[in-house]
Amino acid sequence: MLADWLYIGIFLIISLFLPSVALIVAGILGPKKPNPVKNSTYECGVETFGESLTQFKVQYYLYALVFLVFDVEAIFLYPWAVAYQVQTVFYVVEAIIFVLILLFALWYAWRKGALEWV
Amino acid sequence: MTADFATMLSAVFPEIGLVVLMVVVLGLDLLWRDERVRRLGWITAAGCLFLVVLSLVFALPPAEPLLIWGGMLRLDAAGFVFRIVFLLGAALTALFSLGQDDLQKHGEYYGLMLVSTLGMSLMASAADLIMLYLAIELTSIPLYVLAGFRFRDDKSVEAGIKYLLFGAMTSAVMLYGLSLLYGFSGTTQIAELAEQIDRHSVPVSLLVISLVLVLVGFGFKVSAVPFHFWAPDVYEGAPTPVAGYLSTASKAAGFAVLMRVILTGFWAVTPIWMDLIAGLAIVSMTVGNLLALTQTNIKRLLAYSSIAQAGYILVGVAAGTSFGMSGAVYYLMAYLLTNLVAFGVVSVVGQRVGSDDLSAYAGLSRRAPAVALILLISMLSLGGIPPFAGFVGKVLVFAAAVEAGRWWLALIGVINSIVALYYYLIVLKSAYLLRSEDEQKPLQLMAGWRVALLVCVTGVLVLGVVIAPWFEWAGKAGWALSIY
Amino acid sequence: MIPLSWYLIFAALLFCVGLYGVLARRNAIGIMMGVELMLNAVNINLLAFWSYLYADRLNGLVFVAIVFVAAAAEAAVGLALIISAYRRRNTVIAEELTMLKG
Repeated sequence: MLADWLYIGIFLIISLFLPSVALIVAGILGPKKPNPVKNSTYECGVETFGESLTQFKVQYYLYALVFLVFDVEAIFLYPWAVAYQVQTVFYVVEAIIFVLILLFALWYAWRKGALEWV
Repeated sequence: MTADFATMLSAVFPEIGLVVLMVVVLGLDLLWRDERVRRLGWITAAGCLFLVVLSLVFALPPAEPLLIWGGMLRLDAAGFVFRIVFLLGAALTALFSLGQDDLQKHGEYYGLMLVSTLGMSLMASAADLIMLYLAIELTSIPLYVLAGFRFRDDKSVEAGIKYLLFGAMTSAVMLYGLSLLYGFSGTTQIAELAEQIDRHSVPVSLLVISLVLVLVGFGFKVSAVPFHFWAPDVYEGAPTPVAGYLSTASKAAGFAVLMRVILTGFWAVTPIWMDLIAGLAIVSMTVGNLLALTQTNIKRLLAYSSIAQAGYILVGVAAGTSFGMSGAVYYLMAYLLTNLVAFGVVSVVGQRVGSDDLSAYAGLSRRAPAVALILLISMLSLGGIPPFAGFVGKVLVFAAAVEAGRWWLALIGVINSIVALYYYLIVLKSAYLLRSEDEQKPLQLMAGWRVALLVCVTGVLVLGVVIAPWFEWAGKAGWALSIY
Repeated sequence: MIPLSWYLIFAALLFCVGLYGVLARRNAIGIMMGVELMLNAVNINLLAFWSYLYADRLNGLVFVAIVFVAAAAEAAVGLALIISAYRRRNTVIAEELTMLKG
């Protein structure tokens, strides 16, 4: 029992140790020639603008909502998949109906314009 | 007793039908996208009535209650009766929603209503705590949206948020109680709970804690005092047909699970829950009626009245006998029709006059004699005057209380009924005695409203006069609830 | 081995924190977060009971999955309602929603 915890502790120490060593060594050995371009924030190669702590547009919420359907679907399909060995045809049909209902919901949301950017 | 696959499948035909109906309604909404969308209300109502027929043919309960789908559902008279009640409620609500463009032009309005009906139907026949919780959420979540459906109307949005916040909180509290129950017993089967609790010799104090936690959730659903704060605000803000649906079908579903869980799961602490329920009944009746006396908005008045009505029904539950449950079921059937017709009239007047204030009812008897008469019948039935349905319901629940030796409960109930008559008569006073300037303008009724009003009123009269066949069903349901 | 009671006490404390949040917070989103805490407390309760006492049956696990899903659905609908209120009234403070009273 204790030995198991010991392993986790050792891993924890090593995993903290290695990156910190890399950072510290790079900080000591690396040449330092700063200029404004180097010091600017890197954002996908595009020039940054505005604050980084901005609020997201509420439109993203709709995508999150539609995504949630399939996010939650996984909770049900995962145990279903684990039990695949012992399944009869009925279980498969059930899962298909389940997914079809969800797809119908997606289709409905799509046609209603939930996926358009407004 | 276990069932074969065909029985299990035919037992959930109405539920499958509800899902199919929802898909049809939503699909038609997408395909039509024009004026024809207004027909969806009729389609929903017709579909629900068809499902009533379907459950009469395929899902008739057997003589002995039967556990189906791995113990998730229980095929018995209680689930059957409540399902028909919910389907009727949904059909009538769909008809009352006609003519309101911000509701009827959205297919999802009917879709959500059908999903919520599905949830209620599952609530009434759930035999497992997992199924129970899932069904409660399936009922509540669409209702949150429906209450806030008029998203351009500040009041409706506010009603939706209030309903959501209260509902989410109470359902979480209830769930904590259910998790404790699972922990004490190791089973989620409602039927096995009592036996396992007995076997593990769980201390009474712990059981009472989980009982109280669970009662918070059920009390919210049936809007009993002190979990009633949401009701007046939500009823006032929500679209009127939705408010009617909330106050009848949703409440009936709450009572179905309350009776099922409390009678079976908490068998070990029966005297304690009987006292708790009796207490809830007394405060619900009294507070509901007293607060209703001062209301000027008819939807708020009906909200407080519905809190008081929940109190009367709780009197039947507090009796704790099979007869008490039957009385409660009969009361719920009567109450569904009576309150739906009351909200129907409110919806009609609100549409045509544009106000839910009591003053909007002045001169109603001259503008629309038929509507005023229907209002009269519904108010008298709510007040418990013979020969209407509400009277029979009240007699049954009070008789059950007396039979169980709780005559004081019945006495408080009777006193409260007399107090309640006062505000029901105030509504009738504005409809019949007060004059208004618009008296000459008759109210135009849509065909759907007429059908729905007529069906409700007929139901109120039939339930009040021809008692035997309905009471037989209520009796079967009450028996099924109290036996395991 | 951590005893079962620790989990139960932790769950009870978490539940109380959530309940306090629901009752004390004025922000509607804060109230929803409190509800989520309460539901998580329930999940801890269920899982602890399941794994310590009743690991031979699956019903505890299934219960947790269902609670998880229902919580997600509730949060989604809740945020939608709160956003629609925010658009109309420019507030998410529950106490400022006071058109309905009496």
